[in-house]
Amino acid sequence: MDNTGYTTITRQSGLMREMQVVANNIANAATTGFREEGVIFSEYVMAIRDGPSLSMGQGNVGKTSYMQGTLAQTGGTFDFAVEGDGYFLIETPQGERLTRNGAFSPNANGDLVTMDGFRVLDAGGAPVFIPPGSGSIAVSSDGTLSADGNLVGQLGLVAPTEPLNMIREDGVMFRADDGYDPAENARVLQGFVENSNVNAVSQLARMIEVQRAYEMGQSFLESEDKRVRSALETLTK
Amino acid sequence: MRALQIAATGMAAQQTRVETISNNLANMSTTGYNARRAEFADLHYEQRARAGTVNASDGTVLPTGVQLGLGVRPAAVSMHLAQGSLSATGADLDVAIDGNGYLEITLPSGASAYTRDGGLKRTGEGLIVTSDGYPVSPEIVIPSDARSISINGDGEVYAYFIDTSEAQLLGQFTLSGFTNAKGLEALGSNLFSETEASGPSLISTPGTNGLGTLRQGYLEDSSVDAVREVTELIEAQRGYEMNAKVISAADQMMSATTQIR
Repeated sequence: MDNTGYTTITRQSGLMREMQVVANNIANAATTGFREEGVIFSEYVMAIRDGPSLSMGQGNVGKTSYMQGTLAQTGGTFDFAVEGDGYFLIETPQGERLTRNGAFSPNANGDLVTMDGFRVLDAGGAPVFIPPGSGSIAVSSDGTLSADGNLVGQLGLVAPTEPLNMIREDGVMFRADDGYDPAENARVLQGFVENSNVNAVSQLARMIEVQRAYEMGQSFLESEDKRVRSALETLTK
Repeated sequence: MRALQIAATGMAAQQTRVETISNNLANMSTTGYNARRAEFADLHYEQRARAGTVNASDGTVLPTGVQLGLGVRPAAVSMHLAQGSLSATGADLDVAIDGNGYLEITLPSGASAYTRDGGLKRTGEGLIVTSDGYPVSPEIVIPSDARSISINGDGEVYAYFIDTSEAQLLGQFTLSGFTNAKGLEALGSNLFSETEASGPSLISTPGTNGLGTLRQGYLEDSSVDAVREVTELIEAQRGYEMNAKVISAADQMMSATTQIR
């Protein structure tokens, strides 16, 4: 068995995967409410029949950074940002989803919807309705919407019960299969949206690191290849 | 090597952003123009190792799994509805809308269009039209012997004559409001048409039902904030460059792959 080669390949494929994650982070550096991803390498120990064990590095664990992104002022009436640990609750055909992207607008029926047209839900799971023709809309920090001083609804602010088990979906959404609870440490800001929390500088640094590590692995494979060749040459002389 | 395609989606997204910004800056002096903003959303995720997958016989589960994102897509280029500042022109047929609402215009096809550009003119027959010559609905005709006209906040148009001190009411402008004004379709020439997304136009007199009032002798400036646009432009340019860097790094990784025998 060519263990040297296989050990290197587990690392190389992990690095390739991490490169993809870095590329995705950088591509989403301007996506409202996006959460940075990372890859964690873990040791995978394998027993060998005669001799010591062999450990391989697998890039098999993903992690999402839930750090607060910076807030960008837009001045839009229906642009909301969450400060703290909370998510807006939205309704998709596949079920309820969580998002940090608060660039909403009312649709033709007066329901508050996301950019993809999914309805925004209130704390009780009912769609948020903005009566047509209502004047200026104001939002308090707990998500209560009022039009000219009259209460019209409340944005649902929730936090997942198991933050680590959330599954990412396209459209800056998260699926929380383990359910969610009302968010306690979150407040809503009107006229702001939350920028992507991708740290471009650290991502670029990581990219260079990954690239060089990958090249190092390849040159290691190359010298290993040379070693085997020369051994074969010597033995078959 | 997916990193290449992912970075390409990133470059395309930043290009959309630059195009939006350049259109905003080009319309810095367009009457009644509202700045647009490009919005992005992530693409779908490849679930390489699902979170919660059982990893060992004792029931250990993967805490987070591996989800590899596949890039970014433009989700919307939405209009940022903001009141532009009003600049005084003194012209009697310049009306600015102070607040929400659009003037209704009748296109040559007979269809309705909506605008916030209140730089109105009159035809040889005295009909009030836009700069492009489309009549404003409801149609108002100014008599040729009118000495001056005045338009009040509620949109009522009065004419004054030399021989009489009493003003004559010629008609009243109406404003159209929309449940979702961001859903209007831009037609160019400062015109919009209603869509499924905007909902039907709700016509009311100015100053009622959440609509704004009219200001004679003023025009609404473009709501483009040049400082913000230039800042965004820098961000977009750097974002583009960063994605290009990813492409070259991914390319070098590929060339390292092909170098081993």
